[in-house]
Amino acid sequence: MINVVKFGIEFVPREPYWKIIYYAIQAERRGFDYLWITDHFNNRNVYVTLAATAIYTNKITFGPGVTNPYLVNPVVTAQAVATLNEIAPGRVVLGIGAGDKTTLDCVGVEMQKPLTAVQESIEIVRRMMNGESVVFEGDVFTMAGAKFLFKPRGKIPVYVGAQGPKMLELAGKIGEGVLINACHPKDVGYAVDCVKRGVSESGKKLTDVDIAAYTSFSVHEDLKKATKASVPVVAYIVAGSPSVVLERHGIDLKKAEEIREALKAGEWGRAFGLVSSEMIEAFSVCGTPDMCIERINQLLKSGISQFVVGSPIGPNVRKAIDLIGEKVIPHF
Amino acid sequence: MAFRKMVETVPVEKREVLSDKLIDLVLTSKNDEKMPAGLANTLLYHWQRNLLASDAGLVSLLEAAFLLEPDKTIEVLEQEFQLVGTVKAVKEVFMKAEK
Repeated sequence: MINVVKFGIEFVPREPYWKIIYYAIQAERRGFDYLWITDHFNNRNVYVTLAATAIYTNKITFGPGVTNPYLVNPVVTAQAVATLNEIAPGRVVLGIGAGDKTTLDCVGVEMQKPLTAVQESIEIVRRMMNGESVVFEGDVFTMAGAKFLFKPRGKIPVYVGAQGPKMLELAGKIGEGVLINACHPKDVGYAVDCVKRGVSESGKKLTDVDIAAYTSFSVHEDLKKATKASVPVVAYIVAGSPSVVLERHGIDLKKAEEIREALKAGEWGRAFGLVSSEMIEAFSVCGTPDMCIERINQLLKSGISQFVVGSPIGPNVRKAIDLIGEKVIPHF
Repeated sequence: MAFRKMVETVPVEKREVLSDKLIDLVLTSKNDEKMPAGLANTLLYHWQRNLLASDAGLVSLLEAAFLLEPDKTIEVLEQEFQLVGTVKAVKEVFMKAEK
């Protein structure tokens, strides 16, 4: 059987634009199909970074991974992706999810009705992209004739960023793709089952939906170096994971709480020292190229069609992208 | 002009490896704020065309590396590439600039 897996890569614009664009050009050359830029108000702007990406690359598909409807009104999201699609026609995708509560709390924005907010915002974006004058009376959004003064071009595939069962089901139902924040076959398998329920409800085929595992990834020829790079990211994932997910992987809830407290207190050394090999196994794809290939194969069996390499990527991002391009992608 | 003269002292067979080392210094540097936007755009222009090991590419890479990581750049040029002449040329440029 031939696996048709696409490879994506995520960058966080905490880094200056020129580093991100360097890596974007490199990733395109090394065979990546998708590039996702995270959207957080406290980093550099996602759409400015994507506009530069559009100019400096030729074939890679890209988009926010993911934006949210609370900080960015859907008409502005529609405007941004429509403009990007003029710069790079057919290469733009939109990743959208409910956002993360910690960031929203920071700016005093309440995460009201996340499922409804995501569903309504996708409908508004699609209708704006169709050139409609949008009159909309939703539970979260109201539009009284929102319309572009220019003609938007083409369709933008929408990927729903999802973790919980209901959002995953919604993603299967209304998305062209889904971005699942998970690294372990147990979590991905569970998520894919939820997506399948949404897909069958909508009458689509499963192959109509691009199911992406959005992973924390770290590769190096030396396992110790790969692991060391992944520890800080895994500490944050453990701290932010609900008990049900931690229990699924047999992770001690007390230890997770200790990590949470240490991070909150800014005691990085203590927090990172508490990260166990079980946690790394559960919440990252980490190791030598062969080890990463094995894990990607397991995830493919769980039903994914896109594998996204996310932070930290490796102890040295540039060398890790080369390694993935030389030893991982050609395997599939 | 001065950086161009420096590049002339780098043997052709060492240019590819040197550009690799220098880009690593630049990308892993924590001194991002020292990178001028114009120079960053020039670097990206050369990278997009795969020309970072060309004369013009190395000129911009050397300039960026010296701005962001001067000590590490000198160490790389002297110890790993034995480019003592290049380092001497760089120091002369910096001394002139300081005057």
